[in-house]
Amino acid sequence: MVTAIHIVNVLLPMLILASFTAYLIDFIKGDFKLNNVKRLFLFITLLMHAFYLIMRTSQFNHPPITNQFEVFTVIAFSILFTYFVLELLTDIRGTGVFIIFLALIFQIFSTIYIADLIEVKEILQSYLLGFHVISALLGFSAISIAAAYGIMYLLLYRRIKKNIFGIIFNRLPNLEILEKLLFYSISIGFVLLTIAIGIGIVWLPIAFPDFNTFDPKIISSSMVWIIYGTAIIRKLLGNMGGIKLVWFSLIGFIIAVLSLLLTEMLASSFHAFN
Amino acid sequence: MNIFGISINHRTASIEQREAVHFSKNEISEMIPRLKEDVLTEGFVLSTCNRTEIFGFPKTPEVTSKSLQNFIVKQRTNANLSNDNFNVYFSRGAVKHIFNVASGLDSLVLGDSQILGQMKEAFLLSEDLNFVSSLTHKIYNSALKVGKRTISETLLGEGAVSVSFAAIKVVEKIFSNFEGKSALVVGAGETGELVAVHLKDKNLGKLTISNRTFDRAIGLAKKLNGQAIKFEELKNHLHEYDIVISATSADEIVISYDDVLRAMKRRKGTVSCYMDIAIPRDIDPKVQKIDGVFYNNIDSLKILVDQNLKRREKEIPRVKKIIMQEMIDIFSWYNTLDVVPTIKSFRDFFEEIRLDEMNKIRHKVQPEEIEKLDNMTKRLIGRILHNPTLKLKSLSESGTKFVEAKRYSHVLRELFNIDETKD
Repeated sequence: MVTAIHIVNVLLPMLILASFTAYLIDFIKGDFKLNNVKRLFLFITLLMHAFYLIMRTSQFNHPPITNQFEVFTVIAFSILFTYFVLELLTDIRGTGVFIIFLALIFQIFSTIYIADLIEVKEILQSYLLGFHVISALLGFSAISIAAAYGIMYLLLYRRIKKNIFGIIFNRLPNLEILEKLLFYSISIGFVLLTIAIGIGIVWLPIAFPDFNTFDPKIISSSMVWIIYGTAIIRKLLGNMGGIKLVWFSLIGFIIAVLSLLLTEMLASSFHAFN
Repeated sequence: MNIFGISINHRTASIEQREAVHFSKNEISEMIPRLKEDVLTEGFVLSTCNRTEIFGFPKTPEVTSKSLQNFIVKQRTNANLSNDNFNVYFSRGAVKHIFNVASGLDSLVLGDSQILGQMKEAFLLSEDLNFVSSLTHKIYNSALKVGKRTISETLLGEGAVSVSFAAIKVVEKIFSNFEGKSALVVGAGETGELVAVHLKDKNLGKLTISNRTFDRAIGLAKKLNGQAIKFEELKNHLHEYDIVISATSADEIVISYDDVLRAMKRRKGTVSCYMDIAIPRDIDPKVQKIDGVFYNNIDSLKILVDQNLKRREKEIPRVKKIIMQEMIDIFSWYNTLDVVPTIKSFRDFFEEIRLDEMNKIRHKVQPEEIEKLDNMTKRLIGRILHNPTLKLKSLSESGTKFVEAKRYSHVLRELFNIDETKD
C-alpha cells in the first residue's frame, strides 16, 4: 500500500498537469472538440486524488492534515473539486486553466516534500482540531479560487483598458462574471475561515494554555479575516467593487499563504506543525 | 442541369445602381407571373440591399441569360445598367454561386448570416406563387443546408465585423447582462440608431438618447422605447449611465476628461464604458486613464473588427469544402433522375408479369400455397433485379459515368420494350 501511495503521489502532479494542458489547449485554440475531453481528464484526476487521500488516511491512521505538505495536497484536491462543481453548475469553462494551475503548484510542493508520518502528536488528535482544519482548508481553497479569479479579472481588465483583443479577451468570461465568482468565493471562504477561527479560539486554550496572544498565526489569521470581512462589507454597502475588490482579495490571499508558510518556519508559533 | 441566373451585386454595380434595381416583396410578387409567362419554368428572385439575382430554368431553348438581363433592364430603366453590371451563371456555376451566397462567402461583409434568411424568404415567395418544382426545391434545400452547416461547423459568422457591433462586443466583455444596465447614446443619426438597436437587442434596462436637435432624440427614443435628454444637460447625467456611446457629427469634443472624472466620482468607482464611434472624436481620449473607465474609439474598435475579419477569412477553405460536398450530393441526385424512372418502369414490368402469372394459378392451388408462391415469386424477382438496379444507380450517382448509365437505361427499355415514363 505504501508503494502504491508513493506511486500515486508522483502520478498526481502529472495528472493535474495533463488536465491543465487540456484546459490550456482549449483556452488557446477555443476548440469545441476538447470541451468534454478536458472535463474528463479533470474528473479522472479527481478520482485518483480522492483515492490517494483515502489511501493515506487508511495507511497512516490519520487524515493528511498534520503538516503543511499534507495540507497542500488536500488544498489542491479541494481547489480542483470546487472548480469542477463550479464548472458543472455554471458551465463557465474559460477559467479552468488558471485555477487548475493553482492546484498544480500546491500539489507539486506536496509531492516533493510530503513525508509518511505514522505518529501524530497527541495534540493533533482532537476532533475539534479536525473540524478546525477541515473548515480552514476549505476556506483557504475558496480564497485561493477567489485569488485565481482576481488574477483573471486583472488580466482582462488591463487588456480591455489597453484595447488588446487577443486570447484573454476572447476566452475569459466578462469582468462582471469574474467579479461575481470572486465575490462568491471570498464570501464562502470568509464564512469557513470564521468557523475555523472560531473553533481555533475554543480549542487553543485547551491545547496550549500558555499561548501568546501575539502569536504570528493569530495575528496573520486576524489580518486575513479583517481584510476579507472589510471587502465583503464594503461590497455589500456598494462602496467597493471592481479593481479595488480584486486587490483586497489578492492581498488577503498573499497574507494567508505567507501565514501558512511562515508559521512553519517560525518555530515559536503554536501553529507550527513540527 | 440547365439552371442559369444573373446577379447584380456589390462587386458589379455601384450602390446607386443596386438601390435602383432593388425590388420589394410586392414588386417580386408581381414580377414572378411575368417571368413564368415568358422566361422561366421555375426559379426564384433574391433582392437585398447588396444584390439582386434571378435564377431559374429556361422556359424554352431560346431563353438565355440575356433574356433575364433585358427583363431587369425593362423593369428599371433609370438604373443605367450595362452588361458589365451583370454576372452570369450556368449549370454548376449557378448552383455553386447560390451556395456561395447562402454560406455568406459572397456577402459584402464576409460571413454575413442575414443572407440565409433573405434567401429563405425568396424561395418561400416563389413557392407561394407556384414558381418551384422538385428541381428548385432540391437546390433550395441544399442551399439551406450549406448555410446551416456553415453556421454550425465553421466560425465564418463569428465575431463582430462592424464598428458599432464591435463596440457592443467590448461592452459585453465588461458587463454580463444588460438588463440592469443603463446606456446613453449621444447622436440620433444612422450610426447612433444602429448602436441603440444593438443595445435594445441585448435587453438593455434603460436606454436614453441625446441629440442636438431634441426632436430627433425624442423620435428615436420613442421608436426604441427609451427616453430622451437634452444635449445641453447630458453632462450632468453622465454618472447615471453604465454605457455611454457617442456618434455625433460634432467637430469638437462633446464629453471632456473633466466631465467623465466628475461622473466617476459620483459613481463611486463603479465601472463605465465610453465608446466613441464618431469621426472626429466626441470623447476626450484621456478619459482612458481614469480608473474604472473603459474607452474605445473607432481606431481601437477597427482593430477588433480586422482581427475578426482575418479569423473569418481563415474559415473560407472549410466553407468551400462544405460547398463542394453539397455540390457533389446535389449533382449525384440530379444524375439519378434519368435512371430512376427506368428502374421503376423495369421493376413495374416484372411485377406485372409476376401478378399475371399469380392470377393464372390462383384457382389451381390451395389458398395457403398461394401465399407461399406469392412470397417466393417476390423474392425471385427481387434477386433477379437487384444487381441491375444497383449497377444503374451507382453508375448514375458516380457523376462521371452517367452517360453510360443513360445508355444502359436506354438498352433496358429497348430490350424489354418498356415505354418511356414521365418524370
